[in-house]
Amino acid sequence: MTDIAQAGPQPGAAGRPPGESAERPARAVPGQPDMWVLVLFEALVFTAYLAVYLFHRSAHSELFLRSQADLSPWLGTLDTLLLLTSSLFMLRCVQASRAGAFRAAMSQAFITALLGTAFLASKITEWALLVHGGHGFTSNEFFTYYFFLTGIHLLHLLIGFITIGVIICQLRRRERRSQEIVETCATYWHTVDLLWVLIFSLLYVVR
Amino acid sequence: MRRADGELILFWTLPVLAVIWASAFLLFPGFTHPMSPSMTAAQVAGFYRDPAHLSRIRYSMILFNWFGVGLIPMLMLLVMQVRRMAHRTPILSYCLLGCTAGGPTVFLIADLFWLLAAFQPGRDPQLTLMFNDLAWMTFTAVVPFLIGQSLIIALAIYLDHPDRPVFRRWVAHFNVVIAAALVPAAFTGLALGGPMAWNGLLPFWVKNMAIAAWIVVMSVALGRNIYRQRADGSDQRAPEEAVAA
Amino acid sequence: MSTTAAGPATPPGPPAGSRLGRVAWHWRNNPKRELWFAWYTTVIFYNIFFIVFFPVTHAQPPPHPYWSDAQVAYWFNHNHDGLLIGLAIIFAIAGMTVAQNALIAYSMRRMSVSRAFGYSYIVMYSLSAVPGLLLLCVVLSVGAMRPGRDPAQVHWLYDFAFLSYIGTMGIFLLGSLIWMLAILLDKNRVLPKWFGYLNLCNALTEVVVAPAWIFHQGVLDWNGLISWWVNMVVFGVYTGAFIMLLRTMIQREDFGDGPLPDLRKDDRAKASALAGTPR
Repeated sequence: MTDIAQAGPQPGAAGRPPGESAERPARAVPGQPDMWVLVLFEALVFTAYLAVYLFHRSAHSELFLRSQADLSPWLGTLDTLLLLTSSLFMLRCVQASRAGAFRAAMSQAFITALLGTAFLASKITEWALLVHGGHGFTSNEFFTYYFFLTGIHLLHLLIGFITIGVIICQLRRRERRSQEIVETCATYWHTVDLLWVLIFSLLYVVR
Repeated sequence: MRRADGELILFWTLPVLAVIWASAFLLFPGFTHPMSPSMTAAQVAGFYRDPAHLSRIRYSMILFNWFGVGLIPMLMLLVMQVRRMAHRTPILSYCLLGCTAGGPTVFLIADLFWLLAAFQPGRDPQLTLMFNDLAWMTFTAVVPFLIGQSLIIALAIYLDHPDRPVFRRWVAHFNVVIAAALVPAAFTGLALGGPMAWNGLLPFWVKNMAIAAWIVVMSVALGRNIYRQRADGSDQRAPEEAVAA
Repeated sequence: MSTTAAGPATPPGPPAGSRLGRVAWHWRNNPKRELWFAWYTTVIFYNIFFIVFFPVTHAQPPPHPYWSDAQVAYWFNHNHDGLLIGLAIIFAIAGMTVAQNALIAYSMRRMSVSRAFGYSYIVMYSLSAVPGLLLLCVVLSVGAMRPGRDPAQVHWLYDFAFLSYIGTMGIFLLGSLIWMLAILLDKNRVLPKWFGYLNLCNALTEVVVAPAWIFHQGVLDWNGLISWWVNMVVFGVYTGAFIMLLRTMIQREDFGDGPLPDLRKDDRAKASALAGTPR
């Protein structure tokens, strides 16, 4: 059952909210181009962090290898699967929203949030286990990087929850619903996923 | 025009404040004969340990702590006057607002350091010397917001409507002179003796007299404005040409 | 020379002639002179600040947190003159920082959001100068002024100075988020959305710097590769961006209430004429 907005844009159209300038050219990227600036910038910053990590790893490879053995590859893989699946649902949410199936899109958004929460729970559990096992933020160089990188990523995830909230608000509305904002938020969520994959590869997999 | 909006009450706290500040200033033994940065640790410790001084230090600083921010209402009244000037934007009143936050805060910090120094006079004299240095340095050298305040007021007056100014031009010139008088105090860290030391002519006497003169002159100018504006009702009208707040 | 119109009508344009003559004309006639005053003050401040903090005092990049008492005492003595002179300059000019905060608050005032955003920003950032800049200046001055001071005490002053400067985080964290929120909610297109997102990056640098309170060495200490160097790049990009964007905002300003008009080509020519650059 689709909600046809009375005064809002027709679903399936370019999705521009009324009042937006008609001079705007057809978008070359999904969502606001501005979000891609953020994505690029954050990717660069994370690349810098990871480059620093790799540089120091090569200087202390034995310590890093030893410490990496204390990480659970299963939890790491679970986390990756959770986020990848959440991205899949986010994608479906955007597609549903584009097609006008707003109820379906909302459920997809909720499932995305749920999977994100599962990731959060898994991460916190993993942290608790590590700290309990004597590996904390200040234990050794590897774990400093580990907690720092996963911590900053987690912060980005929490911001991602806010963007999901924005999506849900947008989907709930009858008028002035903006497909652009939905896509913008989705872009951010995919970025969070991408960043995790990078971190996972470097911290858990590369030995 | 009798309006019970409290503005006059705020204004008339000024002379009361002036009396309290002057008393605290005279009470603090470190001001009446300003302490020299070239005093040794032993001499500084002795100053704080001297029973004739200790109570006076503590009570004067407690007074300053209570009433240090007492000038803020007057500064806010000044911000409101700037807001009434014929400016295109409220930018200058924002600038002044920013400056006013800085001055009293810094003064409070200096006050805290003096109180700290006096709290345990039996400490290692080197520590007492350090707290004393921190207090004097903060009190004397951290003048940027006072300079900024005067220059912003001067600029605001210069940019005001030339025929119907809120403050007369001499107030602007006066503020420029005051700002200039405060600048040498910023450089006090460079001297441990002589006219540039924190008990010297420029950073102590000229600076503090400049601040006192500023308070007196600006209070009088402000008071005149407030009474005039309340009498002719111009404080009720929107500022000329300015965007409504 | 054309006669200037009375009131806020568009001025006919600065007279051809010396640069000084044009500046004087703008000073008397340009309706945006207060905004330009704030903008130029900001730019000048950053230039002086950079020169003072980097080559003059050597307070930036920060020296190491893991130094011994003797090494710290040596740093103070070695930089004695640079520190005292440079910091004195800061004491004289730090009042210029209010112009930046005023201009940013003004940008929020021009937006379609509540006035509370701008006022919050002014209050927060006015406070920030004390722990975030002036304490460093006072404490380093006190550390440098007496070369014979006990090195252990000097070390305490050193820690106090650098930690207060680098470790004052909350104001910039929350202040950036306030500006971000204002920009993202704004319908007047005062500042572009990508800059709103960049505020998030700047806010995150304040999270990244938090470990400086914990580590004495490594990439997360107060001069670490991540918490200082990478952060500085982000901050530098952010600051450069907002300086340019505020300039464009002033050029576009129409003193209205609705969306800020874009700069068109002929506006750009007019704007550069008003700014005093040759057409």
